[in-house]
Amino acid sequence: MLTWLILLPVVAAVAVALVPARRRELHLPLGVAASVLPLALAGYVFWVFQPVAGFQFTEHTTWYEPWGISWSLGIDGISMPMVVLTTLLVPIALAASTSVTKRTKEFVVYTLLLEAGMIGVFLALDLFLFFVFFEAILVPMYFIIGIWGGERRVYAAVKFFIYTAFGSALMLAGIIALALSHADQFGFTSFALSDLMNVSFSIGSERWGFAAFALAFAIKVPLFPFHTWLPDAHTEAPTAGSVLLAGVLLKLGTYGLLRFNLSLFPEASVDAIQIMGILAVIGIVYGAVVALVQPDLKKLVAYSSVSHVGFIVLGTFALTSSSLQGAVIQNVNHGLTTGALFLLVGMIYERRHTKQISDFGGLQKVMPIYAGFFIFMAFASIGLPGLNGFVGEFLVLLGSYSTLPTLAIIAAFGVVLGAIYMLWAYERVFTGVPDKEENKVLSDLSLREISLLAPLAALVLVIGLYPSVLLDKIAPSTEAVLDHIEETTQFVTPEPGRLSGFFVAGGDDE
Amino acid sequence: MITVDWTSILDFWMPILPELVLSLGAVAVLLVEVQWKPSRRALGRIAAFSVLLAASFSLLQWFRAGDALEFGDPGELIAFSGMVVMDGFAIFGRFALLAITAMGLMAGWRYIEGLGRRGAEAIALVLLATAGFSIMVASNNLVMMFLGLEVGSISLYVLAGFTRERSESDEAAMKYFLLGSFASAIFIYGVALLYAGTGQFEILAIRSFFSSFIVTSPAVILIGLGLLMVGLGFKVSAAPFHSWAPDVYQGAPAGMVGYMAAVAKIAGFAAIVRIFLTGVPELDAAWLPVVAAISAVSMLAGSVLALVQGDVRRMLAYSGVAHAGFIMTGVVGGATTGVLFYLGVYSIQLVGAFAVVASVSGSSGSASSLDDYRGLSSRSPGLAGAFSVLLLGMAGLPLTSGFVAKFGVFTDAWGNGYQWLVIVAVLASVIAFAFYLRIIVVMYMAEWEGEGIAVPGPARWVLALAVIATIVWGIFPGSLLDLAANAFPL
Repeated sequence: MLTWLILLPVVAAVAVALVPARRRELHLPLGVAASVLPLALAGYVFWVFQPVAGFQFTEHTTWYEPWGISWSLGIDGISMPMVVLTTLLVPIALAASTSVTKRTKEFVVYTLLLEAGMIGVFLALDLFLFFVFFEAILVPMYFIIGIWGGERRVYAAVKFFIYTAFGSALMLAGIIALALSHADQFGFTSFALSDLMNVSFSIGSERWGFAAFALAFAIKVPLFPFHTWLPDAHTEAPTAGSVLLAGVLLKLGTYGLLRFNLSLFPEASVDAIQIMGILAVIGIVYGAVVALVQPDLKKLVAYSSVSHVGFIVLGTFALTSSSLQGAVIQNVNHGLTTGALFLLVGMIYERRHTKQISDFGGLQKVMPIYAGFFIFMAFASIGLPGLNGFVGEFLVLLGSYSTLPTLAIIAAFGVVLGAIYMLWAYERVFTGVPDKEENKVLSDLSLREISLLAPLAALVLVIGLYPSVLLDKIAPSTEAVLDHIEETTQFVTPEPGRLSGFFVAGGDDE
Repeated sequence: MITVDWTSILDFWMPILPELVLSLGAVAVLLVEVQWKPSRRALGRIAAFSVLLAASFSLLQWFRAGDALEFGDPGELIAFSGMVVMDGFAIFGRFALLAITAMGLMAGWRYIEGLGRRGAEAIALVLLATAGFSIMVASNNLVMMFLGLEVGSISLYVLAGFTRERSESDEAAMKYFLLGSFASAIFIYGVALLYAGTGQFEILAIRSFFSSFIVTSPAVILIGLGLLMVGLGFKVSAAPFHSWAPDVYQGAPAGMVGYMAAVAKIAGFAAIVRIFLTGVPELDAAWLPVVAAISAVSMLAGSVLALVQGDVRRMLAYSGVAHAGFIMTGVVGGATTGVLFYLGVYSIQLVGAFAVVASVSGSSGSASSLDDYRGLSSRSPGLAGAFSVLLLGMAGLPLTSGFVAKFGVFTDAWGNGYQWLVIVAVLASVIAFAFYLRIIVVMYMAEWEGEGIAVPGPARWVLALAVIATIVWGIFPGSLLDLAANAFPL
């Protein structure tokens, strides 16, 4: 089943590639239709997913015996929301790409291959396989930015590729080191996550391993000070590229930190709480401050992204039940809201061919539906109670307060800053009287555009009002991560997770 | 009535039958050309037939070698008074050489046809070069190795300058010849010093010399080994002995460069593995750091210098320097499997890449600057796609054979205690990504309206084969890895 989740997009990509180039009107619709299949499959997985710890739907096929590598897949509460999010965002991103007129076929093919790779990263339980997917997705993303991007697209694409490849190169060395240590200690080579978790290190080499993995993921997240590739990539990428970049690709980093760093290097992770927390909070505040002064709407959303992923990392390394749950659910929230914001920026760009905030003004009179969606997503991103962002940020702040109180307080200021830059941007773009002639004739959202945003808005509301629909399935897996850390280190999580009963239905039955 | 014992005759000649067939093929091509003046196609058939026959004999050798290792005496595999060995290592290397020869002739077929009557000489030289390098891969005796090296190298010098009309070609041939003979001289001096120190020419005898004697002051031997490394480092274009490579890659006929570069690398590394890993493993404390240093310098210098090239051929030449470094991490790792796998997949990618270069260069044979690749994806999507796969393969991106190859040699080197080298290697791979991407950027991200490029039929096959090999062995590397694992030297 999980294999099909990866293969379906590949099959779809091949199918689209086989459609003759002259039937160009078929490529995009076919791509959208094909990408609904993985979504349906992911929906089914979500439906039958059991809220228990450990991996479900596991599959295991030996790849090359002497090297101990295998095609090993599984899904748990940490990866399941990400898989669903990926399969949801791809059809939306594709359907939003009607403005891609040149080389549509290639565009659809690359997007579908990207989807396969991203799902593969979330499902892989073998580090070799994980690395293959992690690195392979660079190629389609590189083409998407480099061919269909804005003016400085080539620069942005190469910067994106080299930056992330640099991070993963050292991780490759780390993976090799892990597998060879496993061979030393247990007599056989294995790249399986479950095997490598048993490897014991001297604290020195564990720290090196942690650093190698953390660097790869920190660049991907991106964590301050490794974030400089992101605004370029986001600004230059086409809308679909930005949506997938913000919605899913950045999550590969936060997912990796949670899945691999915490499980493989628990001792070093506990030691790194302070450092990672500080970097995360710097990212939160720095991203927010820079977003405040951006004249370009897309760059503003990009920097707000840097700020928001900081919360995820803070939650991951605060190592409490609620902060971890908050981190996982914030992964999803950020994908939904930032994805939607990038879609919105793309829609206005298609109409006005500018993203400069100063070029707009008074849009809510001309485009009320557009303004409505924008303010809704802006509120979700700020963390207005009742919307999804609140759940995630609240859980993260609540959890981190018990481990890293100072940082949690500073991070809370990040929320305030977030409200300032978002609302200020809204004010400049939407309120007032439309004074520019070009702005007065803008058409409001079409039915197609509304139907792209509506599912995202609905999910924002559902998660905001009834978070336990996700949290119930996430909690057992994040608890398992904490249990593993408590078993292998002296660390005791300061708060045993009772407070998450705020949101988890049935969490207070003790 | 004299009865001829064919079986024993076959057994006697078996270890060098492939080389004999290739040499006879070369002679046949020349004689047939003089006598009948047939079409190029007919000569091509003779060449194809000799390559196929040589490959069939190699296959026979493979089974015999397997039998001898399993049931008989491995000593049976040493033939001609210790001159050559018929071990799996030699046979694997020979298979690689033969595959590259076939692909190289196909890739360069348009060039050979364009040569007119001189085409026969080019075919004969290719067959002779392969015969020479093949004997080098199989030799157990340093003098024999030198002989094979010279037969192969001299054929390549001539091939490099085959297009006499182009001055770059002359320059390339001259440079290659002068520096190459210098390297050969250094190699033979190294052989002499090794003989002075051990009293042996045979590699297996040198190994037993070290296991039975303790050499208290191995200075002469070490200098000899150093000279051998310099000579072979030149042949595989490892830094800092690489200065000839860019000029030769640029000047030599485009159709032939891929073949020339690939066979020289295969044979050179086979010799390095044989001398250092099977001959003097006892001295590894002395030579491992040196090889590691050469490896690191090659990877870094190759990758960085490739970044600043504006010519695709020079870029591939410097990438070849980097690859020499990557393969050497496998030598540092001390295991032959990774080295053989890397050589196999890289040489195929190299021939494929130069088949693209030859097609883009066109009849003039000189158009190979980055600008000539502008917008190739809109002009010839198939060609650009194939080139991208091969470049990503060389870059070592996952799902290509290049990644498996790099992973293999890096794991060996890490396991052998050379962690710093692996870290240098992964960083160099990232630098290498940058220049491979430069070519892809030009092909895919630059707008250019122009004519498509016609790829000649045989070159198409080469491209298809190279792309399939790159992807299939990237996803299912087991088949080739198992072969390489069985192909260990005696």
